[in-house]
Amino acid sequence: MVTGDVILEVDEISRSFGALAALSKVSFRVHEGQVFSVIGPNGAGKSTLFNVVSGLHAPTAGHVRFRGDDVTGLAPEVISRRGIAKTFQITNVFPKISAFENVRVAAQSRAAVSGRLSSLWRSPDVERTVMGLLRAFGLEDQRDELAENLSHGEQRYLEICLALATNPTLLLLDEPTAGMTPGETKAATTLIQRIARERHLTLLLIEHDMSVVMGISDRIAVLHFGEKIAEGAPDEIRNDPAVIEAYLGGADD
Amino acid sequence: MSSARRLAPWGALVAFAVLAALPAAPFMSRYYLLLAFDALIFGAIAMSLDLLMGYTGLVSFGHAAFYGLGAYSAAVLLERGVLSLWACLGFALLVVGAYAFVVAYFATSRRGIYFALLTLIFAEVVYTFFRYTQTFGGSDGIQGLPEAMLFPGMPIDTPLKKYYLVLAYLAFGYVVCRVVVASHFGRVLVAIRENEDRARFLGYSVQRYKMGVCMISALLTGLGGALYAMRSAYATPDLMVWTESGEFIISVMIGGLGTLAGPIVGGAFFTILRDKISSYVDWYFIVIGVVLIVIVLFMPRGLVGLRSVLRLRW
Repeated sequence: MVTGDVILEVDEISRSFGALAALSKVSFRVHEGQVFSVIGPNGAGKSTLFNVVSGLHAPTAGHVRFRGDDVTGLAPEVISRRGIAKTFQITNVFPKISAFENVRVAAQSRAAVSGRLSSLWRSPDVERTVMGLLRAFGLEDQRDELAENLSHGEQRYLEICLALATNPTLLLLDEPTAGMTPGETKAATTLIQRIARERHLTLLLIEHDMSVVMGISDRIAVLHFGEKIAEGAPDEIRNDPAVIEAYLGGADD
Repeated sequence: MSSARRLAPWGALVAFAVLAALPAAPFMSRYYLLLAFDALIFGAIAMSLDLLMGYTGLVSFGHAAFYGLGAYSAAVLLERGVLSLWACLGFALLVVGAYAFVVAYFATSRRGIYFALLTLIFAEVVYTFFRYTQTFGGSDGIQGLPEAMLFPGMPIDTPLKKYYLVLAYLAFGYVVCRVVVASHFGRVLVAIRENEDRARFLGYSVQRYKMGVCMISALLTGLGGALYAMRSAYATPDLMVWTESGEFIISVMIGGLGTLAGPIVGGAFFTILRDKISSYVDWYFIVIGVVLIVIVLFMPRGLVGLRSVLRLRW
């Protein structure tokens, strides 16, 4: 697949929690339009990597560059406004408001009045954006349902809607199909892939389900105990002895 | 839902019309007019606290300081012969605004229990300052204030005029709160209440929104304090004791969190209950306590929640 310029550069990122080195000197580059996946057994440091890129944790060492700018250690809200959106492994929506209101507040975060005094009397009209997203994920009939009353699968989709509503250029998906049945997983993967293509999104995906990753990724990096042990196209990864060793002979999974 | 929202302004208009006609009722003596004043001012302050508690999920234990500072601001001017209502209110907004900005800045930089603790600590500092500073009368406060003037030559000197003044304040506060809640700003507040972290990941500077709503709530409360000084002709440190903040919180709880109208009812109910029971027994706080516990336990949605319960039954 032909890809564009480097959009995200993770450069020798290390992050430790006390004596535990969750990530050590992890580097990779994601190109525009790519689907780049990070895989690895549980505890390999995948979520920590996402938390560093999205601004929740500052790295102990190393740099994150987004479209050429150093964004290392910026706050989550700043990184979000630069165009990086993140979905969460454990569904993280606004439980006591409707699906529509969930997506609306996300979409309005990009409006000009947001964060200004005029947001008290001017309300940006994002109804079309919101309904478009709900429709794309088959949630239009649930628009007035409280988020907490949606089914697990619907909540996973709402989670993605929230991230997409901020109109990102790079979308970080943290195990988007977590808790889904194999059938749902397949449908969700196809849907995500289609939407990413329509919106010219770059995807950075975390998965530990190998079958999901192999089908949709352009490139895969493998983490094991906080270190990158392999990177390449899906076929290369499938046959990489270090990867097979990590997954089959892994200590923890 | 949508029909209820369309009805809301009519409900509010009818409620205000009833309140405006209330002084015409035969039982409305001077005593009851002043009690009504206290009930409405307490309700208005509970409503402004509801912006924080019900909509943003922040519990302030320091609203008494905004209230007391508003009262002292008006008292200081009235004492010096500046009688204009507007000057007093403007000065109260300035003083309370400056103080609230500092409190809001530090309190919103921390989360959860720390917000509550910081608002309480700041308020206790203010209380202690006024309690022990002789310039402001120490524990006696500033007493014997002259009547404020709506316009030169138009003193607000009767309980009836004071009642309409507080009714105008309540209406103003209600409109402000409704506008805030219905706005984009207000929706972000609800998002913060529901899931603060996710709001940040959507790009919202959560602290700015929290500071904004703290300021709005504090300023409305400060205005109430200034009006109270005009009604009672004094400002004392007792207005700033932390139990006062606690009573505001209780009023919001018994009225119904996140409803605006509920806390007005809650504040009024609390004030009248306290007044009535304290005229019979000395240990009235025990009675009030029992009533409040019953309400909180058996009506988790507060007094206004009762409405929908009744409708369901019948």
